[in-house]
Amino acid sequence: MRRLWLAVAALAGTFAPALARAQEFVKVEGAPRQEMPAAPFVAAAYSVIWVLVLAYVIVLARGIARVRKEAAELRARLDREAPPGRPRAAS
Amino acid sequence: MRSVSPGLLLTALLAAAGFVLVPQLIVAAPQEPVMGFVQKIFYFHVPCASLLFLSTFACAAGSIAYLFKGSEAGDRLAVSSAELAVLFGACTLITGPLWGRKAWGVWWQWDARLTSSLLLELMMVAYLLARRYAGPAGRKLSAALALFAAIDVPLVYKSVDIWRTVHPRTTVVPTLDARMRPAFWSAFALMILLWSVLLAVRLRLERARAELAALRIDVEDLTESAA
Repeated sequence: MRRLWLAVAALAGTFAPALARAQEFVKVEGAPRQEMPAAPFVAAAYSVIWVLVLAYVIVLARGIARVRKEAAELRARLDREAPPGRPRAAS
Repeated sequence: MRSVSPGLLLTALLAAAGFVLVPQLIVAAPQEPVMGFVQKIFYFHVPCASLLFLSTFACAAGSIAYLFKGSEAGDRLAVSSAELAVLFGACTLITGPLWGRKAWGVWWQWDARLTSSLLLELMMVAYLLARRYAGPAGRKLSAALALFAAIDVPLVYKSVDIWRTVHPRTTVVPTLDARMRPAFWSAFALMILLWSVLLAVRLRLERARAELAALRIDVEDLTESAA
């Protein structure tokens, strides 16, 4: 048991100064600064928004056109094939 | 061919006018002293995030109407809003890292705001996937998912106040420099208009699909009676 305590004390003596140093804030001086121009990021952000919205508008427009075309075909078929007494398809 | 409603046309014209005016206001607004020019992303990033929240709430409201009252109109509102939530969520999650890369030096941090926002976006994607691929129970399953997504919204919003994050807190907009407010609120109004137009068009598509489904049933009835 005494050996264990001695080992713990030795470890604490070894690492305590390092731990204390790790808690301190040390400002890094003279480090190279990474300067990035902001304009490409702003341009990319705006472009992404409008490209996504435009793509969605195109998807919607194509969807509406497809549905309307198929509905017109079905209405035409109903009008053509419905027996005389049967109500016609609403337009 | 159906005519476009006057309200929709007016909103689309206002949105188009906004595309011309708002960028001018944003360029004229003063630069933020710490971040500089990259802070201009804020004027569209925040409205996109707000529309993600609004779309999620609209989806949840429609889902509640569908789940508890069987409202087909509610279901149409839910699926239309869910698509808009995914769209504006994608805008938020792409513009945010572009801003973060310049301002923080990293594209992404697994902090509370960013992670919960990504989770919300994934929940709305899951809504659409469940609706499309989960079979007959898909609509109810996705409606239940929408309720969980709506619960996540307040958590996303307050995450920056509850936990320590790299993301700015909720006090940014209320304490915004008075000279930046016209640009911010006009961009916000533009995005709301755009959202309204897209929602109206998406709802129209959903109604047209419902009419098409009814027509298909009529044609099937006709084919069966003829056989």
